[in-house]
Amino acid sequence: MNSIANRFSTTGPISELRKAQFHVEDDEFADSVWGSEAGFGSLAKGVPNFTVPSVSDPSAFLRLHTDDFADPNCRIKIQHGTTTLAFRFQGGVIVAVDSRATAGSYVASGTVKKVIEINPYLLGTMAGGAADCQYWETYLGIHCRLHELRNRERISVSAASKYLSNLVYSYKGMGLSMGTMICGWDKTGPAVFYVDSDGTRLKGDMFSVGSGSTFAYGVLDQGYRWDLTDEEAQELGRRSIYAAGHRDAFSGNTCNLYHVKEDGWKFIGNYDISKLHYDGPGETPGAGYGYGVRIERNSAAAAATSITVQA
Amino acid sequence: METSFAITGKGYVIVASDTTAARSIVKMKTDEDKIKVVSPHLLMSYSGEPGDTLQFAEYVERNLRLFHIRNNYSLRPSAAASWIRRSLAQSLRSRKPYSVNLMLGGFDVTADTPHLYWIDYLGTMTEVPFGAHGYGSYFALSLLDRYHDPEATLEEGLVTLKRCIDEVAKRLVVSPGKYKIKVVDKDGAREIEM
Amino acid sequence: MSIMEYNGGSVIAMVGKDCVAIASDLRLGNQALGISSNFQKIFPVTDRIYLGLPGLATDVTTLRETFRYRVNMYTIKEEREIEPETFAHLVSSTLYERRFGPYFIEPVMAGLSKSATSGFKPFIAATDLIGCLNFAKDFVVAGTASSKLYGVAEGLWEPDLEPDQLFETISQTMLNAVDRDAYSGWGVVVHVIEKDKVTTRTLKGRMD
Repeated sequence: MNSIANRFSTTGPISELRKAQFHVEDDEFADSVWGSEAGFGSLAKGVPNFTVPSVSDPSAFLRLHTDDFADPNCRIKIQHGTTTLAFRFQGGVIVAVDSRATAGSYVASGTVKKVIEINPYLLGTMAGGAADCQYWETYLGIHCRLHELRNRERISVSAASKYLSNLVYSYKGMGLSMGTMICGWDKTGPAVFYVDSDGTRLKGDMFSVGSGSTFAYGVLDQGYRWDLTDEEAQELGRRSIYAAGHRDAFSGNTCNLYHVKEDGWKFIGNYDISKLHYDGPGETPGAGYGYGVRIERNSAAAAATSITVQA
Repeated sequence: METSFAITGKGYVIVASDTTAARSIVKMKTDEDKIKVVSPHLLMSYSGEPGDTLQFAEYVERNLRLFHIRNNYSLRPSAAASWIRRSLAQSLRSRKPYSVNLMLGGFDVTADTPHLYWIDYLGTMTEVPFGAHGYGSYFALSLLDRYHDPEATLEEGLVTLKRCIDEVAKRLVVSPGKYKIKVVDKDGAREIEM
Repeated sequence: MSIMEYNGGSVIAMVGKDCVAIASDLRLGNQALGISSNFQKIFPVTDRIYLGLPGLATDVTTLRETFRYRVNMYTIKEEREIEPETFAHLVSSTLYERRFGPYFIEPVMAGLSKSATSGFKPFIAATDLIGCLNFAKDFVVAGTASSKLYGVAEGLWEPDLEPDQLFETISQTMLNAVDRDAYSGWGVVVHVIEKDKVTTRTLKGRMD
C-alpha cells in the first residue's frame, strides 16, 4: 500500500528520484559527463544528482541486487567488513583504521585507504560502502573549502559533521551505507563526531566502527586515559586495530595511523598487522603484540631470571 | 544476553558465567548458578536453549558420576571433554538436539596441569588458554589476547577476569548484571565471591 | 551463511617425485570470529597416509575418530596396514553412508602406496562431502580457500618436484592462497611424506 502511495506522491524520496530521472535526460551530454569535473560537475546546479534505474522503486531494485546477506549470489557485492577507530585525548585525536576490503569471503584488497583526508584539519574514516564514504566525504571537503572562502575562517568539526549528517539523511532509505567518524581540531580543541547513514550524529571521546569494532573497544577501553602521552595514545590506537585485525576475519592486512593536533593532522605510519603480531611496531623480532608471541617472551624472561637466581 | 568466560592460570582454571535466567524480554531470575561442578576437579559452565542447558548438564554430571562409581576414579579433563563433545555431536544429528554451549575447565591431578575446553552446541571442541561464549566473547577475546597470562597467580587471574566483566558491562547493550565465579585447582572446585 | 564456511579452513595435497605433501591452515572460527589458532585438520592414518578434513569442525573431530576406529579395525582383521587406495574407498563409503544427512567435510588424502616393484608410488585423492572420489595426478584442494588454492597451485606446481622443492611449492601455495581468504589462515602446517620419513613443519603465516 505504502509503495503504491509513494509511486504517485509528489513529495518524498521516490518522487525526488522520479524528478531526478527526468532531469538526467537533458543533462546527459553536459560537460560534466566527460569527467573534467571529476564527477562533481553537477555541483554547478547546487545539488548533485544521480542517474537512477528506470524502475518504479529504484532503491528496492538496488537492494535486490546488492544485499548479499539476504542473497549471497546477488550480482553486486558491496564491500564491507572493517575496523576503524578514533579517540580524543589530552594530546589531540588519534585515528586508526585497518586496510582490508572483502567481498564475501574473498579478500579483495589489503591496501585500502580508509582514512579520507578531507582537508589539512579534518579526517573522515570509512566503514560501510567504500564508494559512499569516499564520494560524500570528498564532497564534504568541497563544502568545507567553500565555507572557508565565504566566511574567512575554517569550518568547525561540529558544523562539518552536521553538514554530512544532513546530506546523508536526505538520502535515507535509498541504500546509502556509511559509518564514519569526522575528526579534527577547531577553535574548541580536538573533536570527534560519529556520523552514519541512518542519520545518527554523535559527539564523543571515543568511537569504533565496523565489524571488528567490538574487538577494538575491548583493548581501547582498558588502555584509555585522558592524560595519555602522544606515544602511548598512538600505541593504543595501533594495538586496538591489531586486536581487531587478529580476531575479526573481515579486518586486517595493515593499520593506518593518524594523529590530529592543533596544527592539523599528521600521518604517523602504515603498519603491517602480521608484523605487529610477531615483531611489533619497531624492528625488534619477537617484540610483537601477538598472544603466543607475548607468552613466549614472558616465559623466556622468566627462564632468564631463574638462571640469575641460580647463579 | 548470556555470557560466560573462562581463563587458565598457574595451576588453576577460573570459570565465570552470568546469573540471569531470561525468558522473552523478562529476567526471570538474577542469581541462577550456570556453572556445574561435574566431577571433583571439573567445572562446566553452560548456556543456550533454556531447558536443554540444565538437562544436558545433569546428564553429563550423572554419567561422569556413574563412571566414577564403576571404576573408582574420575575421568581426566581431556577424556571427559571428549565424551561430552561426542554426546553433543551425536545429539546434533538426532531428532531433538541439545542447544548447549559449554566452557569446560578442569585440573588434571595426574599431570598436575589445568585444562580448558571451548565446546559449542555443534560439538566443536578446542583446547584454549582462555575462552568465552555469547556476545561477551566479541569484547573479551581481544582483551584477553592483550592481558591474559597463563602463568598468573589466582589474584592476577581474577583481576583479568574483572576487566572482562567490566568491559562487557560497559559496552554490551544487553549486558548481564551479576556473575558467578568458580575456580578449580589441585584442591578441587570452589566458588569465589567478588 | 553457508555451513561449509561456518568454521573456515582449507587443505591442499600435492604430488612430487617419490613423495607427497599435504598442508592445511590452523584456524578455527565461528564465522567472522576467530576462536583458535591451533586447530589441526590433518591427521596421520598410517605412517604413510595423511588425511585432511576441512569443513564443519564438529565433523572434523567426529570423522577423525571414526576413521581412527575403522582403520584400527582393518589393521587388526587384515594384520597389515591399509593401503592409500583402499583407505580412499573407506573414506568414500563412510561418507556415502550419510548420503541423506551428510558430514560437512570434504576430505583430502595424501600417501605413498606400495607398488608391485617394491617401490612407493605417490597417491593423492579428494572427495566431496558425500564421497565422490577424485584421484588427481598433480594436486587436490578443498575448503573455504579452495578457489584461491586452485589459482596459486596451477601457477606454481610442476611435475617431479623433489621433497624440499615440493615443500616450498605447497607452502607458498597455501600461505598465499589463505591470505586471500577471510575464513582461512592463522598459521599453516605442512607434512611432506617420503618413503622412510614424514617431515612436519608449522609455518609462520599471517595472523589477521
